[in-house]
Amino acid sequence: MGKIRIVTDSTGDIPRELREQYDIRMVPLKVHFGDQMYMDSITIEPAQFYELLVTSEKLPTTSQPSPLDFSELYKELLADPDTEIISIHLSAAMSGTYQSAMLAKSMIEDLDASYEDRLTIVDSKSASYGFGQMVVMAARLAEQGTSKDGILEAITRFQQERKLYFLVDTLKFLQKGGRIGKASAVLGTLLNVKPILSIDAEGEVYAVDKVRGQKKAVSRVVELFKKDFEGKRIHIAAGYATERSVMEDVIAQMREQFDVASVEYTTIGSVIGTHVGPGVVAIFVTPI
Amino acid sequence: MRKLSLDGADFTSMVLQGANQLHLHSEHVNSLNVFPVPDGDTGTNMNLTMAAGVNELREKSSASIGKSAEVLSKGLLMGARGNSGVILSQLFRGFSKSVTGLDSIQSVQFAAALQNGVDTAYKAVVKPVEGTILTVAKEAAKHAVYIARRTTDVIELMQEVLEKAKEALANTPNQLPVLKQVGVVDSGGQGLVYIYEGFLSALQLGDTAIPDAARPAVEDQGKRPSAVTSAIPHTHAAQSQLSTEDIEFLYDMEFFIQLNLGNARKKFDEQLFRKTLARNGDSIIVIADDEIVKVHVHSKTPGDVLNEALLYGEITKINILNMREQHRDLLADGGDVTPMPELFPAIDHEVSDFIETVVEPPADEIASYGIISVSMGQGISDIFTSLGVDIVLSGGQTMNPSTEDFVKAIESISAQHIFILPNNSNIILAAQQSKELVPDRDVTVLPAKTIPQGLAAAFAFQEDESVQVNAEAMEQAIAHVQSGQVTYSIRDTNLDGLDIKAGHYIGIHNSKIVATKESLVETCQGLLGQMIDNGDEIVTVLVGDDAEQATTEELTAWMAEQYPDAEVEIHTGGQPIYHYIFSVE
Repeated sequence: MGKIRIVTDSTGDIPRELREQYDIRMVPLKVHFGDQMYMDSITIEPAQFYELLVTSEKLPTTSQPSPLDFSELYKELLADPDTEIISIHLSAAMSGTYQSAMLAKSMIEDLDASYEDRLTIVDSKSASYGFGQMVVMAARLAEQGTSKDGILEAITRFQQERKLYFLVDTLKFLQKGGRIGKASAVLGTLLNVKPILSIDAEGEVYAVDKVRGQKKAVSRVVELFKKDFEGKRIHIAAGYATERSVMEDVIAQMREQFDVASVEYTTIGSVIGTHVGPGVVAIFVTPI
Repeated sequence: MRKLSLDGADFTSMVLQGANQLHLHSEHVNSLNVFPVPDGDTGTNMNLTMAAGVNELREKSSASIGKSAEVLSKGLLMGARGNSGVILSQLFRGFSKSVTGLDSIQSVQFAAALQNGVDTAYKAVVKPVEGTILTVAKEAAKHAVYIARRTTDVIELMQEVLEKAKEALANTPNQLPVLKQVGVVDSGGQGLVYIYEGFLSALQLGDTAIPDAARPAVEDQGKRPSAVTSAIPHTHAAQSQLSTEDIEFLYDMEFFIQLNLGNARKKFDEQLFRKTLARNGDSIIVIADDEIVKVHVHSKTPGDVLNEALLYGEITKINILNMREQHRDLLADGGDVTPMPELFPAIDHEVSDFIETVVEPPADEIASYGIISVSMGQGISDIFTSLGVDIVLSGGQTMNPSTEDFVKAIESISAQHIFILPNNSNIILAAQQSKELVPDRDVTVLPAKTIPQGLAAAFAFQEDESVQVNAEAMEQAIAHVQSGQVTYSIRDTNLDGLDIKAGHYIGIHNSKIVATKESLVETCQGLLGQMIDNGDEIVTVLVGDDAEQATTEELTAWMAEQYPDAEVEIHTGGQPIYHYIFSVE
């Protein structure tokens, strides 16, 4: 019985402790402030990043890992003939990261015919801890000895059951980074509009609703979750960048409305942060 | 002097005198506004409505009263502005129906026609309110029916009608408490009394008084030759940003088809005709009745359009204009042409200068929804446009858009369903009336009575929802938002339990005056105190043309301190008259 290793990229925003606990291997994306390049969650931590974001004159840009970044890691892990890899990544609709991993796979398949079966690359069709959780779950299952097919099945189920909404302060960052997806229709109003965003089944950002004002946005998010989870026991994962109080406001209201089994928090890292801005609050809910 | 019948010429001179009398006194009618705000508009609205009717009548007056009344009725219907204007148009519509086919009428028929006008107007208004123009018209018509049984002299009858109308007018403060409180009579009723005064004086002056225009006019020299130029519905700054060559459908055509003249080869089919026009044109407006079709189109192929029209009858009053040429001139002039509506008698109801912003999809691309909104001030218009409103008609207060302005706006949008946000209680009726004039279009008039309500409704609109869902969501938004307006009082008065001094500021919450102070800031504070409930609402401030920056800053600082949890948004509204408009939600 072989060993299953889980690989991901840095945009899953998985807390460092969990990553270390489950020995999840992570390939970083890169964030650039002008000529200065940082490796997401390796050479730059979220707190430093948001400080830079405020002080820097130019907005940062990001870049995906190169196929080489992936192939080196894949080769290292697959050198053990009993090892299989499940490599889970940021939505292919938002980033070339998945594509890069796929290229890496095709590059190394020439080295060893067994690599094709032993390496599975998954498009999470989600972002941030929306798939970070999926990665942690996969690692936990792997540790418990679940088969590759069993883990892949669990991932599919997770993708179907998960619900997420996120709030941004402004659509400016999503628009500049070109990740606005189908939410572009909310753009351009002169009023201070708070869009409520989500990621659809194809892994693309879309606007669920638009409201005026932060407080209305928070209560609207709670209302939206009610549609799917009213009366159900749920697990909440919450991500934030700098607006912890808004996130706590959502959690408090969620606790009033739902049977909340557990809550976990994460910080949104620099790559996702580049594309949503420091005002982001994301709430991920899964039924238990 | 006795007069036993009224023919078309008599009727025309009565109407002209009536309109003249109203025109002379429109400022007085304006001053009867219940709210002491500087935007009294009933006189202006009725005057413009009447002028639209008169213009039509000047051109097409007939010796037959039936025909003359019909012509007037059509002119009024299209030109109707404001609630009183709409009611006026309905009074004459009923009158006209009653005398259809008659060359002249006697006192009994005259009385019956007045009565039929009243019946028609009452039906047209969803919730008739007594103590208004409706009551004055009703009392006068009732009395006319009574008197007509006793005299055959129409002059005597008209005298009695006028006396009764004046009596009913004097009684309006007893029927509408708000009038009594303020110490005025109803403004619309007053307008009608002026019209009746004109009727009587025309009858008393007799034949000698019939102006030239009352004779059936073949060619009206007095008519502004600029009618066509002004009919380009959007001569505004945005147009100068267009490249001249972008104007694809460059011939702006306006003409009439006389269905009963010429060698008509086909029976007129409006749908088919529209389709034909759409082949190489846009901005299509076709208004048809049994005899005349009014056509407006921007076309690439004006020859084809005229040939097509010739199939149905004789073409009259043809005006064709090359818009590229006009656009080049516009650019040469600096590009900013402000529409200047003129008052009676130069007003031409075929001219619509009120369309500020037009976003026209190509004729073949049917958008599912269109929204028409009414705004005052460029800043407010910009916000409406940013919220996806297709056409913003200007004129929230002193200059209300007419029924025809709405009809034109509707015709210029090729959407399956159109929502109209009137944003003023005095515009709702005109919007509803326009809906009836384009029965083939799907139009919903939403009950938005203020700019904040209109903005809230436009914000609630969702492109991908059904008509019903959208209508409900928008109505909910309208009901939910609190509206506040601040201006100054033009006279001393006592209203809503407040002692209001001329020159002091007043704060209006929804439709009630709740604050009045000598200081603008204090008035705003009093008003906001009434509007803000929990303190955590979203407060949108639309800053008017007359507001000073220092005042706005003082107010903003006060709000930050008083309502630390409120989310305050400040925008340049650019509206006249109202220093501030507040929305709280």
